[in-house]
Amino acid sequence: MITQRSFFPFSKRMIVPLALTLLVVLIYPLVFSFWVSLHEYSLTALEDVRFIGLQNYIGLRHNPSFWNALRNTVVFVFGAVFLETVLGFGLALLLHRPTLRFRNFFRSILLTPMFITPIAVGLMFRFLLNQQLGVLPYLLDQIGIQVDWFGPQLALFSIILIDVWQWTPFMLLLFLAGLESLPASPFEAARVDGASWFFTLRKVTLPLMKPVILVALIIRGLDAFKVFEYIYAITRGGPGDSTETILYYIYKVAFRFFRMGEAAAMAYVLIALTLFLVFILYRIMSADEGA
Amino acid sequence: MKHSRTLWPPLILGLVLAMILSACTATAPASAPAAGEKVTLNVIMEEVPDYDIVAGLAEQFKADNPDIDIVFDAMPYDAMRDKILTSFLAPKATYDIIIIDNPWMDEFGNAGYLAPLNDFIAGTEGYNYDDFVGPLRDIGEVDGQIYGVPYYNYALGLIVRQDIFDEMGISVPTSLEEYVQTVKDLTTDDFYGAAMQPQRGYKIFEEWKNWLYGAGGDLLDDQGNVIINNEAGVQALNMYIDTYNTAAPPNSLNWGFDEALRAMAAGQAATMLSYNWMLPTLNNPDGPAGDLAGSFQLYEPPGGKAVLGAWHWSLPKNSVNQDAAWKFISWLTSPSVDKERVIQGGAPTRTSVIQDPEVWEKGFGEDYYATVLSILEDAEPLAGGDHAEEIIDVVGTELNSAVAGEKDAQQALDDAAAQVTEIINR
Repeated sequence: MITQRSFFPFSKRMIVPLALTLLVVLIYPLVFSFWVSLHEYSLTALEDVRFIGLQNYIGLRHNPSFWNALRNTVVFVFGAVFLETVLGFGLALLLHRPTLRFRNFFRSILLTPMFITPIAVGLMFRFLLNQQLGVLPYLLDQIGIQVDWFGPQLALFSIILIDVWQWTPFMLLLFLAGLESLPASPFEAARVDGASWFFTLRKVTLPLMKPVILVALIIRGLDAFKVFEYIYAITRGGPGDSTETILYYIYKVAFRFFRMGEAAAMAYVLIALTLFLVFILYRIMSADEGA
Repeated sequence: MKHSRTLWPPLILGLVLAMILSACTATAPASAPAAGEKVTLNVIMEEVPDYDIVAGLAEQFKADNPDIDIVFDAMPYDAMRDKILTSFLAPKATYDIIIIDNPWMDEFGNAGYLAPLNDFIAGTEGYNYDDFVGPLRDIGEVDGQIYGVPYYNYALGLIVRQDIFDEMGISVPTSLEEYVQTVKDLTTDDFYGAAMQPQRGYKIFEEWKNWLYGAGGDLLDDQGNVIINNEAGVQALNMYIDTYNTAAPPNSLNWGFDEALRAMAAGQAATMLSYNWMLPTLNNPDGPAGDLAGSFQLYEPPGGKAVLGAWHWSLPKNSVNQDAAWKFISWLTSPSVDKERVIQGGAPTRTSVIQDPEVWEKGFGEDYYATVLSILEDAEPLAGGDHAEEIIDVVGTELNSAVAGEKDAQQALDDAAAQVTEIINR
């Protein structure tokens, strides 16, 4: 009895429900989807499910739609996260000034977009930028400017801007928290030494903020990889396939064409890619901490 | 500690019991309702005006059949396909009656998810199945089995501003070449000859395939070879792109049928190739066209042959209420109730209803129904087979790329042909 108790103590037993829940909602789907990715698995031919090894993965090499979607996603992630970081950091610096009047008011207003569900944001911009009904095209038209926001040249950029509108506040929130937790002494020392604002930013603020920036990049980057709602609500991947992102393409293959095996393989490639990027960012972080 | 140990065995027992119970629930065979038991039929529908008409008529059916209740689950188009499939895969169907869009019929029929209706139809007196227009019947038949009976059609036709044509003394074009020239001639700085729907995917393919027919082309030949990229295809696409660039509203590359309808209703365009049932909408004095209501007229697409779209009523094989479901469907699609549906504004499917003078009088006039019949009799769906949905998507993407200027017409159609061939041979 004593042996049993030490082998499986009360504290461990208490995490059994959580472990079982995780097993059911996380591990099982992961294992099952990996199994699916190794099979010819179509929802309209369930009697003909066949093991095909890595064929679904190998087939992706010659699938131009997959690579196009991946390229669009990478452009989106880098474009959106870069702009959000720059804007978020700039706004955080502005709001961090203790002399700023109505600071809390501005904070609240600036954070608002983050609390809207992305599908609603997608629909909102779909109508705001609509050539027939949209306010923005109408106003621009009044001053003689015609912009095709969802034309082949601008569509992906417009989607990036929508993401920037919604998620810059998230970066702002993280950066503001980071700035407020920085020690005051390095800044006082810089001021005593007569350092300019820009010099202080470059040599004191940014190095001290580096861990916060990296964490923000990881969180936002991972989230941006999952972009789906704006594409679904606005462009459906068009014009042509210029805004088809990887998650939208996976959705299409899985739930419109019912080819689950291929979709699962793509999802696993996406997981591998994002894990690789996280690994790189962690390496940068740990190298920084080591130094 | 002692107390916690006493909790441990019941916890495991509870989990095991829960698993056994859930397994039993999942595998318990579905059974038909007992005689005299009230049956509730769950029906999945697309949220469109035709649904409102059906929901209204269903009240009459429920009053006559107190042992059958009908619950409609109306939703947007995008939500339907995966919900229907989920219902097919469940041990007991979520939906007893489903509506099926034409690209899904072969796929779901061949997958074994639909109940054959041949015996039901044969056993229903006065149903007159052959009265449904031939091309609509063809969609519901897969390898000799009938899996769906027509609900409503959405074949495409040419809708024009008749007042403008009359005023300018122009005749309505009957060939593709005439059409292109006419819409170019009608275009001015703030008025456009054609409100097009070049949106990626279904929309552009649905519109452009009428052009393809008009140029003498097709997706497949009689042997099933892909011929979309032949000379006729390239000509049709080049003409389409030229018309988009010269006679359609600017920046309308993402337009679907609703944007095109809005442009017509706002008096910004002279023609559009769209669903035939849009004519009553445009001519409705209380509809979107306002003062322009009554100025619109429907014609066959240039070249004559039209793209056919249709929804069908089907019964999932895993439904336990098939008899009651057929009772409702056969009542709803029977000649007399179908006539009532069409009089109320539903898109017609039966020849006898289309040719009924009472329908002309109470509906939208003889001319409209005569044109609809001509369109339906020479119409064909966008694509068939188990992968129609994917074929439509890839062709529609390539067409949109060509209109966007990302590829030339030949390249886009070659790419589309290669992908369609790969899909068909999969």
